[in-house]
Amino acid sequence: MSQTPTSMVKLSAIDKTWADGTRALNSVDLEVPEGQFCVILGPSGAGKSTLLRSVNGLMRPTGGNVRVDGLELSSASERELRRRVAMIHQHFNLATRASVAANVLSGALPEVSMARALCGWFHPEQRKKACHYLERVGLKPEHLHRRAGELSGGQQQRVGIARAFMLDPKVVLADEPVASLDPQISRDILTLLKDAARELNATVICSLHQVDLAREFGDRIVGMRSGEIVFDGAPEEFDDQRLSRLYQNADWGDGQPGQVPEDSLELDSAGGM
Amino acid sequence: MNTRPIPVPPQGSRLHWHLDQPFRLKHLVIAVLILALLLITGHRTEMDRMVTMTTQAVGNLVGLNDESQVVRGLSKVADSMWPPQMATSEQVARINDFNANDIPLFARVENRETTTQRLNEDTLQLESTTETTEVLYDPLGYVKTVFGKMIETLEIALWGTLLAVSLSIPLAWFAASNYSPNRVTYTLARGFISLLRSVPELIVALFLVLAYGFGPIAGVLALGMHAAGFLGKFYAEDIENADKQPQEALEAIGAGKIKTVLYAVMPQVLPQYVAYTAYILDRNLRMATVIGLVGAGGIGQELKGRFDMYDYGHVMTILIAIFLFVFLLDQLSARIRSRMI
Repeated sequence: MSQTPTSMVKLSAIDKTWADGTRALNSVDLEVPEGQFCVILGPSGAGKSTLLRSVNGLMRPTGGNVRVDGLELSSASERELRRRVAMIHQHFNLATRASVAANVLSGALPEVSMARALCGWFHPEQRKKACHYLERVGLKPEHLHRRAGELSGGQQQRVGIARAFMLDPKVVLADEPVASLDPQISRDILTLLKDAARELNATVICSLHQVDLAREFGDRIVGMRSGEIVFDGAPEEFDDQRLSRLYQNADWGDGQPGQVPEDSLELDSAGGM
Repeated sequence: MNTRPIPVPPQGSRLHWHLDQPFRLKHLVIAVLILALLLITGHRTEMDRMVTMTTQAVGNLVGLNDESQVVRGLSKVADSMWPPQMATSEQVARINDFNANDIPLFARVENRETTTQRLNEDTLQLESTTETTEVLYDPLGYVKTVFGKMIETLEIALWGTLLAVSLSIPLAWFAASNYSPNRVTYTLARGFISLLRSVPELIVALFLVLAYGFGPIAGVLALGMHAAGFLGKFYAEDIENADKQPQEALEAIGAGKIKTVLYAVMPQVLPQYVAYTAYILDRNLRMATVIGLVGAGGIGQELKGRFDMYDYGHVMTILIAIFLFVFLLDQLSARIRSRMI
């Protein structure tokens, strides 16, 4: 397998079978070049989250290997690799009782000594950077000391994006970042994410379930169903016929055996950590 | 491209609906057994006699019968406990370095005349002699003594709580199943916490008084060890039950376990921790008054001394002081907690 110099994320033959025998991923290959905004589309339970989580090792694949920025994911390299891979979550995953400032600064924790972390005494550059990104995502200085949980959903996701960019990531994984936001705010958030990533030339892998947003923001669309990649191409190629085929039988698929809802996948893998 | 046919759920056959009553014979039998058990244990703990005596007491109070052991006992104690003792008087001659110009506030020197009847051996007649002694009378003297002892008790409670907190934080880390390094450390930590919690303070203090002698050291250690058993358990369970989402966010960037706990778990659990710790301080204050009974310092030593000398007026003063301190501490901790949330 020759590796092109621009390949940032390379997944080879990733398999994942849950303990109950459900196959979440079935020999998935995916290569994402540097700087690309790659959207993953698919019905609930298609394995989008599982695929994203395999990139930074939050989910351990049953088979296959993961390579990010030339570094192969293993338990030894995991910590080093995770510093280069930021993540944006569907439910924002902020410490809701902590301040906005503390949440953004916590994105720099891997680079902060234990003593500094204990006192909350971050480097001045990190404080400056936190302020810079908070301004960049459209928040105001008065938000700094507000509790994260007091902000609206859109504002919380802005904080999540600022936190994700604290370590200058090479790769940003966005797991349904706008699933719980209204359409206009979704568009704003994705624009922010795309622009911020472009400034750093960071690769973004973003799972979505809004097709119009996928077509608007994606440099590339990857369609997934039942743990397999069934479409991979430019947004223009993803026509309505392909769309309806991708979502066929997805209407009542949630509760059926063999199709595990996305939420339960998240719980399973979190418990397995 | 995958275009398999859309599967259709099978047509449902006739469903069998059935809704039972909530109780069956089994439950009735269990209820009868529980009742029988309650009757037996109630008799063994003299609950039947308690009911009889209480009824008599109530009857006595409303004038239906004229004899009640309970009322008699209680009124005897109440008579001797009221009024609470506030003053002290001490013979000036017994005070070292007495300085008449430097006496406590409100205190005064009084002359007391004491008349004693004595048999004159020469005349073989009873003579009364009057002696005048100078006495330092301090109307609030005993209140001051009790206040000083209460402060000492509060200090014992405070240090017991500090010791408990500093012991239980590392214990909680190892006793939280999602952060403990492995199964062995988890089991050891949980076992140690249970051990600390299972031995009552009074008994620990009894042994520690043998080891460290009379005084506050034994009290602080006894309170600290027992409370560490409580706090360790509660702290650990809060860490286990904390919302996983923020923790996952920090795990995903490789922040490490300790920093994840600091930044994703602590903000969530801190108000609860403050509440637990305030409760432990409150409990330690009450327990600190008790462990003085076995000589571990504080107001308890004074209380036991006065009780043994039948100075019930003094006992009353002490009890009022304990109530006031517990009440004030409760108000204070409620205020701190409301500011934290």
